[in-house]
Order: sequence, then structure tokens, then C-alpha cells
Amino acid sequence: MGSKRIAKELAELTESPPEGITVELANESDIYQWKVYMDGPEGSPYHNGRFLVKLSLPTEYPFKPPSVSFGTKIYHPNVTNDDKGSMCLGMLRADEWKPSSKIAAVLEFARQLLVEPMPDDAVEGRIAEQYKNDRARYDEIAREWTRKYAMA
Amino acid sequence: MADVGDRMFCHACGGVWLRRDHGLECPHCHSEFTEIIEIPPDTEEEVPDPPTSVPEDRSAPPRNPWADHNPWDHDNMNTDTPDWGSGNGFRHHTYRSPDGRFTFSSTTYTRRGSSGQQMPVDPLMPMVRGLDTIFHGLADTYRQTEYRQPNERDSSPGLWRTDRQNQGFGPNGSRIYSTSFDIDMNTRSNGGVGSEFHTTGGLHPRDADGPQPMGTPLRTLGEYVLSLGCGEIEKVTDLYSILELFRADFGNNGPPGGGPGVRVMTGPNPIAILSTLLNLDRHGDAVYSQEELDRVISQLIDQNARGTAPPPAAPNEIQSLPKKKVDQEMLGSEGKAECSICMDPVELGTEVTVLPCKHWFHYNCIEMWLSQHNTCPHCRRGINIPAGPEGSSDNPVVINSSPETSPRRPSGAAPEHSGQSPPRWNGPGPETGGQEQDQGQSSRNDNQGGGFAGWVRSHFGGGNQ
Repeated sequence: MGSKRIAKELAELTESPPEGITVELANESDIYQWKVYMDGPEGSPYHNGRFLVKLSLPTEYPFKPPSVSFGTKIYHPNVTNDDKGSMCLGMLRADEWKPSSKIAAVLEFARQLLVEPMPDDAVEGRIAEQYKNDRARYDEIAREWTRKYAMA
Repeated sequence: MADVGDRMFCHACGGVWLRRDHGLECPHCHSEFTEIIEIPPDTEEEVPDPPTSVPEDRSAPPRNPWADHNPWDHDNMNTDTPDWGSGNGFRHHTYRSPDGRFTFSSTTYTRRGSSGQQMPVDPLMPMVRGLDTIFHGLADTYRQTEYRQPNERDSSPGLWRTDRQNQGFGPNGSRIYSTSFDIDMNTRSNGGVGSEFHTTGGLHPRDADGPQPMGTPLRTLGEYVLSLGCGEIEKVTDLYSILELFRADFGNNGPPGGGPGVRVMTGPNPIAILSTLLNLDRHGDAVYSQEELDRVISQLIDQNARGTAPPPAAPNEIQSLPKKKVDQEMLGSEGKAECSICMDPVELGTEVTVLPCKHWFHYNCIEMWLSQHNTCPHCRRGINIPAGPEGSSDNPVVINSSPETSPRRPSGAAPEHSGQSPPRWNGPGPETGGQEQDQGQSSRNDNQGGGFAGWVRSHFGGGNQ
């Protein structure tokens, strides 16, 4: 059932992708690993950047949540500043996940998080502090990182 | 003699230096785990300030200053025995066991106003040291709830009056510690942490590699080692550290002109103490190293993740959910609908399972979800909460009589669906089992949405694994 639903979602997303999001399989033979390209939303310091987001679906999908990580380095309170680039999304937590959530919703939520970070739910506390207390500096660094890493 | 003043010995690196030159902290390795080594008093006059050494009454080794020392009588300390303190804030005590097998000496420093003593000022350290000693003592006495010290027959009862009800004396004068003694001591000492005092205590000498200013005990130390082993020596030391802490805490309250300064020079490394302490009987979450802490934290995270997610529904609960054929009303205004789990379109007349919240799904789909979590995948309402009166929730039959149920298939759900489901769904998952169901249900009732409750449940075996 899982792969069927995934295929269906993939088809939907390919046909009518949400704004700023394009999806493809990382490997045509593996429907569980997706490559998502996310355009930095306008009005955010990530604007004009193009971020690779890796979406990994468990075989139990939709009963278990997918996981989302950034393949492109990004300066963001909710994305770990390491090789993994894991993104912490509340809706993806085991106790928050609902099988009726669609991947499209997950990706839109992730993109919305670029516009409005959630510093109180941060994985990078220092960036969260800066976001809250020194927005200008945060914007500056995030823009710089976007320029550096997300505009190839 | 060029040795003016106290010599310091570092227990961490074994270094020796003059206290006057480098202070109490080891100049080599900067450890604070140091000890003042007593120097014979012939240099006292050369060093009027800071006073670094106090005469020891070594001519009369059998004398036991503890014997008539009353830790509760603060005035006696200061007035009746002025030769101990001589007003400079230093007190030196030497205790030698009657048989001469070991000697214990302690130096007590009391800071008095701005007398210019070269006591390093470290507001945190006294506390750490004090706790240190307490912990270490705790650890040791926990480890041996019956702790004997054969060589110390004439310890003054007055000294131990502090906790007489908890601490017994063996028939031959050996002391027996009990656990309650330590707890009590800890409690008391907590009150004393705020006040500062300063003690040095220890079996003398304790390190055979270090300088050995006291000749006689060196010989006897070997015997001691032979008879008790090294660990025991440490315990003796710690015992005295506690003793000193205690004495200083209660016997030395508020000297005139300022707070006393705590320093237990022989305090062992706090980490080591904690380690010892917590190693004794590790109650699950007690840790003493970073790795252990990490382990516990990740364990808690796991438990929490599992704990806050709704627990699985019992198979018979799932099976007894009402079924219904999709009618026009359910398809809504658009005339088509899909199962939000598999996202397949649902045709008119397809049989679906309806939850108490009225959301409906394919039986196969919802069965797989409910066997992991007992809530609606859509609205998260518990499938066993709203169906009826609270008390009946562990009787799944009640769902059939609930108002939401379609009258078309009031019962007999199991045979109905067994035709359309693969056999494995009749007995799904590892959650099967009557006892577990009961437990699962009760905990479910307790646990709707409660992270802490979930943690407690998983911690104390709520049984929803």
C-alpha cells in the first residue's frame, strides 16, 4: 500500500507541484528517496537560493513519517548545521504524524519554515537566539550562506 | 632550614612546593587536590605572617586531641585550647592511634576578616570541596554499610554524638556506619554548605611516593596497607574528611570578624566521587560519565517518543469498529472521496470502517494504523474514548451500541471483514494478548496526550510495547 500511495503522491507533485518546489526521485529504482529542490521563498534571506532537500520515506509510510534534510547548507534555526542538515518539523514527529498528511503538505510546511523560522523549536540554539535578538545579523548571514551554497 | 612554612603536596602529580611561594594550588599541574604537609615547628618565628605552621605536640603521641574535643562547644575550641588556634585562624590537630599504628593530623584554617592570610579566594571551591567530601564519604559508607576501623578504639564519643542514633559502636569500639547515618549527615551538611570553613584532614602520610615528614607512621603505614589494603586507607582519610567537615561545620560556627572559609584539602575529585557514589547501586538513570549520560538521555528520548505517541489499539477493538457502506452523503458534495490513508478513491457502496469520530477508512488501512496508534489518523480523536460512558471503555462491545454506529451492521464485524482481509489481520502484530489489552487500555485512558504520563507509563511498564 505504501509504495502505491507514494507513487500517487509523486505523480501528483510532479504534475502540479506546489510553488517553489520540484520533486524527483533520487534514484529511479527507489521510490522511497526523493530529491526535492526548494526555491528560497521571496521575502526570506534564502530568496534566489535553490536548496536541495532530501526526503526519505520509511517503508511503513504513511504510517510512519518521512524525514526531511537539507542537502544544501543553510543557515536556519530549525536545520542542523552539520553534514546531515536535518530539519526538525513538528508534524514529522512520531507523536504528531498523521497518515493523512501528504508529502506535499510536508514540503510546503518546510518551505514555509524558511519564511518563518520557529526559534522556539530550534535545533540550532545559537541561530535561534540570533534570529530572535539580532534579526539583521541573522538575515545577513543567512543571505551570505544562500549566496555561497545555494546559488550554484 | 630553608623550608619556611608549609610544604604542599599535590595528589594529582605528586609535586611538592612551598605553600608560601605558590599557594595551595599545585604550580605544576594546577590541581587543587593538594595537601599541606606539616613541618616541624622550628620555623614558626621566621614566618609571622602568614602563619603557616602550628606547633604539633609530637612529644606526646598518645595524646588524642579528639578525646576531649567537643565539636559542639565552640567556645571551648577558642578559649580552652588556644594553643591550637593561637588566634591566627590555624588549628592543627594530630591524632595518633594508641597503638601507634597510624597517625592522623589535620589543619584547620579559619579566615578571619582581612587578616591577610594567603588563602586563595575561590567562592565555589569550598562548596565543591565540602560536597566532595560528603559524597565520597557517602559513597564509601554506602559501599560498606558496615564499616569497621579496628585501629581506632578511643575515638571520642563526643565527637560522634552528632548522629548517635544512626551510628553504632561495635562491641570492641569499632564503628559501624549505617546508611541512614550518611543520609543524615548529608542533610546536615547541606545546611552547612553556605557557611565557610576550612579543614584539612587525612591519614598521614598517605602517599608513599611523596615526602614523608612524619617518620613513625611511615613504618606503620606499611602495616596498615598490609592489613587493610589501599582502598581502606582512602576510606580512613575520607572518614576523617567527613569528621572534619562535620566538626568544622558545627563546632566552628561564626568566628568573630567574618565568615570562616571552607576548604577540605583532602577532598577527592568530585567526578570520581560521584562516580563511586553512583556506581554503587545504579538505579537506572544514575550516571557518572558523559557516555552514560548520553545513553540515558537518548533512552529517555526514545521512551518519550514512544510514550507520547498514542499506544496501539487492541485487535479486538479494531475489529469491533463499525463498518458501513459508503453512501452518497459520505461522498460529500463532490460526489467522490478517497481513503486518506491509501489515497485511493472510494466508490459508492465500498465498505469502510467508521471511527467514533465519524472519519472512515478502508478497514485494511485503518487496521494498520490502529495497530500502531489508537487514534483517528485524521483528527487524532481516540477510538475508544468517546464511544460511551467512561467506565465501559474496556468493553469494546459498547462501541456497537454507540450512536454513531450504523444500524446496518451493529455487530459481527469480525466475520464480516475476515472475508476481505488477509488472515494476518485477524491477529495483528505483537500487541495481541489479553493481559496487555487491559493494561493498554487503562494506560490509554490515563495517557491521552500526556507526555509525562507516557514517560511514566513506559518507565514503569505500562505494557504497551
